[in-house]
Amino acid sequence: MARRAEKEGDLQARILMAALPDVAFDGWSDALLHSAAERLKVPSEDAEEAFPHGAIDLVRYFSEWADAATLEKLTARRLANLKIREKIALGVRTRLELLAPHKQAVSAALAFLALPPRNIHLPKMVWATADKLWRAAGDTATDYNHYTKRLLLSGVLTSTTLYWLNDKSTNNENTWTFLDRRIDNVLKIGQRISSFKKKREERS
Amino acid sequence: MSKQRRKLKRTLPGDKATLKRADDVASMIRVDHAGEYGAKRIYEGQMAALGDHPKAKKLIEHMAKQEQAHLDYFEKEIVRRGVRPTALHPLWHLAGYALGALTARLGPEAAMACTVAVEEVISDHYAEQLAALDKQPEEKDLRAAIKKFKAEEEEHRETGRNSHADKAPGYRLLTAVIRTGSKLAIEIAKRV
Repeated sequence: MARRAEKEGDLQARILMAALPDVAFDGWSDALLHSAAERLKVPSEDAEEAFPHGAIDLVRYFSEWADAATLEKLTARRLANLKIREKIALGVRTRLELLAPHKQAVSAALAFLALPPRNIHLPKMVWATADKLWRAAGDTATDYNHYTKRLLLSGVLTSTTLYWLNDKSTNNENTWTFLDRRIDNVLKIGQRISSFKKKREERS
Repeated sequence: MSKQRRKLKRTLPGDKATLKRADDVASMIRVDHAGEYGAKRIYEGQMAALGDHPKAKKLIEHMAKQEQAHLDYFEKEIVRRGVRPTALHPLWHLAGYALGALTARLGPEAAMACTVAVEEVISDHYAEQLAALDKQPEEKDLRAAIKKFKAEEEEHRETGRNSHADKAPGYRLLTAVIRTGSKLAIEIAKRV
């Protein structure tokens, strides 16, 4: 069963890679999926088994693929010596750097996911990415912080990705400073809460 | 539509067995973590509200220490397995403490009656999980841990019974209410 899953994941990756260069022309569509499978000489039943719901599954896999590749890069680097904020920033940055050759595909994916009924998928995908990045950063929260951390990072991921899509600076330098500022904002929320708690304790 | 999709996804060839099992164990760990946290908060509430009753306090302290060990175990499992923790953590935080404080206010017997009722429900709940885990030999470590915890919860229940829990005001009504509440909490924590 594990072997089968591996094979399937491999097929999914191959189809995605074959499809990505064409996304700019075709958009994310079932036709894109099928023409990619055709070029790879993959029977259409196998392509349908790999992506049972067609284009939407391919888009979701695109995000999962980026997540997995990000985690792989992060584990290759030694994260232990970094501060939490640096780990998180590095995670967001690594993901965008991996996606840099596919900026147009990301942009097309957002357009594809913007309309109902597909719009339910985007928040889930962002949440899954935030979850994986937090776990990679060694998060061990088991209380409500589990949720607030992922929520705040989802906001950072969304805003930074949107900024990055229109960033024309060399090596996306502007995006990385934008990302640092967003993380500053988020940290301020935490600082404000703890200073509020402190004041309340002092009063009582 | 999305519901149909999810169903479809679950029936993917080769997927079903693994997905369902993973779901089940994740839910078990989530509810157990929530429950042990609630138990810890009950005892904290009791310690805070119980007046000058050194004997009862000593018993509670011992039980609270064991609950802390159970909680530590499930916290580690949540992190290790990447299980989503309960989203209602703040609710268990408040409700547990309130239950402990309110019963302790009624006196040490009522505090012990609360322990009897809660631990009864929890050991039944663990018994159910043990039965489910019997079918999953690869989860034998989890099963062994739950078995140990169940024995300790039963010990708490007996401690309560031996400490004149039945002398509490309105013992039957009190324990019936707490039992129902605990069962409800378990059903909620399995899902949320």
